[in-house]
Amino acid sequence: MSKNDPSHEFMESPFSLSRREFIAIGGVIIALLALPAVWVRSALINRNHHIQARTKGLYRDDATAKIRLSHENQAVMRLYRDFAGKPLSPVSEELLHTKYINRMKALS
Amino acid sequence: MNKETKTYRKGEIPGIIAINTRECKGCDACKRFCPTGAITGMFGATHRVDADLCISCGQCLVNCPFGAPYETVDPVEQVAAKLADKRTTVVGIIAPAVRVAIGEPFGMPVGSLVTGKMYSAMKKAGFVILDNNFAADLTIMEEGTEFIQRARHALFGEKAEHGGEIGPLPQFTSCCPAWVRFVETNYPALIPNLSSAKSPQQMAGAVAKTYGAAQVFKAAPESVYTVGIMPCTAKKFEASRPEFQSAWHFMKEKGGAASSAPYPDIDAVLTTRDLARLLKKMKINLAAENDAEGGTLFAEYTGAGTIFGNTGGVMEAALRTAYVVLTGTPLARLEFEAVRGLKGVKSADVTLRDQKYGKDVTVKVAVVHDIRANIRPIVEEVMAGRSPYHFIEVMNCPGGCINGGGQPICDTGSSWIGRVLPSFAWS
Ligand code: SF4
Ligand code: SF4
Repeated sequence: MSKNDPSHEFMESPFSLSRREFIAIGGVIIALLALPAVWVRSALINRNHHIQARTKGLYRDDATAKIRLSHENQAVMRLYRDFAGKPLSPVSEELLHTKYINRMKALS
Repeated sequence: MNKETKTYRKGEIPGIIAINTRECKGCDACKRFCPTGAITGMFGATHRVDADLCISCGQCLVNCPFGAPYETVDPVEQVAAKLADKRTTVVGIIAPAVRVAIGEPFGMPVGSLVTGKMYSAMKKAGFVILDNNFAADLTIMEEGTEFIQRARHALFGEKAEHGGEIGPLPQFTSCCPAWVRFVETNYPALIPNLSSAKSPQQMAGAVAKTYGAAQVFKAAPESVYTVGIMPCTAKKFEASRPEFQSAWHFMKEKGGAASSAPYPDIDAVLTTRDLARLLKKMKINLAAENDAEGGTLFAEYTGAGTIFGNTGGVMEAALRTAYVVLTGTPLARLEFEAVRGLKGVKSADVTLRDQKYGKDVTVKVAVVHDIRANIRPIVEEVMAGRSPYHFIEVMNCPGGCINGGGQPICDTGSSWIGRVLPSFAWS
């Protein structure tokens, strides 16, 4: 996030000014308290618009694809034939699988 | 930054997301999107991120009205330097969700599918293309086979071919590094339920530096530089996990490159925003590019691979393949509508005949996105041994990776925050 981005600079100063005013005027603080709720609601509407548009884009990519099943991907099949053998083979296990760790032990 | 952290191992990046104290107004909006309660600070006071709890998902970043959260890791300069170095093969590993978002910072409408333009722009920048959709198809082969093995083990007592242990049901997907870290930091008892399959990004890196280096790029693995291009900030963390040097280990055992220093499977991760900055820095206007082909073996992908970016996509892709493998017959209809859409938890029953055992089985699957709102009841059920499901897909971000923490926001030109800002009283 660049610091000299105009859209943020332009937010910055008027708001820090008004924040000082808010501290003086109790009533406005209540308005400010309601702000995140309003913000979150309007943000969610716009977010869902973006989610839906992008989701549709990927489903269209699928619907128009010539091949739509992973096991029919010829490049993947070639990788197995020339190199990894088959799924869960020793080579696959070594390169394509992993292990996880318990991070709670460290926390407590 | 760089405070002492308890939930990171040596080499891991402790916290991809931090909050810029100069920008933060303490409005609390971020807290309402954070899945882990990692953000501390009173209302009205500057907030900060507790890196030990944070899973680096970036949801606070894309939802802050002031743009205060930022990524602590910015590899744009480093990748630009590698692209300029002619001895290095720079492999761009492009996630599904990038192709429907990268148009936005270049002024294209939201959701534009720009695969061809993206290939063209990236080739111009000097990348060799490895479409991560290819690795998604590979993930389905591994994770789907693993699921079939677990299911047959649970139902029919089948043993593992190589004598290894077989994990329990339900099997959770493991593509989302924020979800994986969520399990590791909150529900370690469920680790055996996570699929052992790596995420597509990590499979892509391991393949690129072994088979890819030898057969496709015809280069030494040390001179292959792999760049994940992701809708996701947590992928930057994932790439730093110390076990993900598997290509190096593999080559060492093979006797090749014994003397070389360890190299990671993925050298750098750019978010969609980072890629837009890189291209703009190189004066490449993606919107003006013509459609191009990927041009390598690794650019080949299927419709099943591409829907990985949507919530429900991994499950749908896995079901398509598992159905055919189990029954031996093709699917009449490829779309599994039940796992699509934005409902918090989606579930479906698929009844099919396992040809190997000649028995009918009903596979129960669930799809969860938006961890903050939806995961707790599901994991509690599994912990208590009451889960009705066999296979559960989890993605941290609401809607899946297409709404990931690395996707474009207003400062790259066009996302939804920009449209909301003017409605604020003081703006
Ligand atoms: S990155 Fe995700 S987990 Fe971390 S503080 Fe932000 S919202 Fe919370
Ligand atoms: S859902 Fe996708 S974008 Fe979001 S944290 Fe998980 S992998 Fe990253």
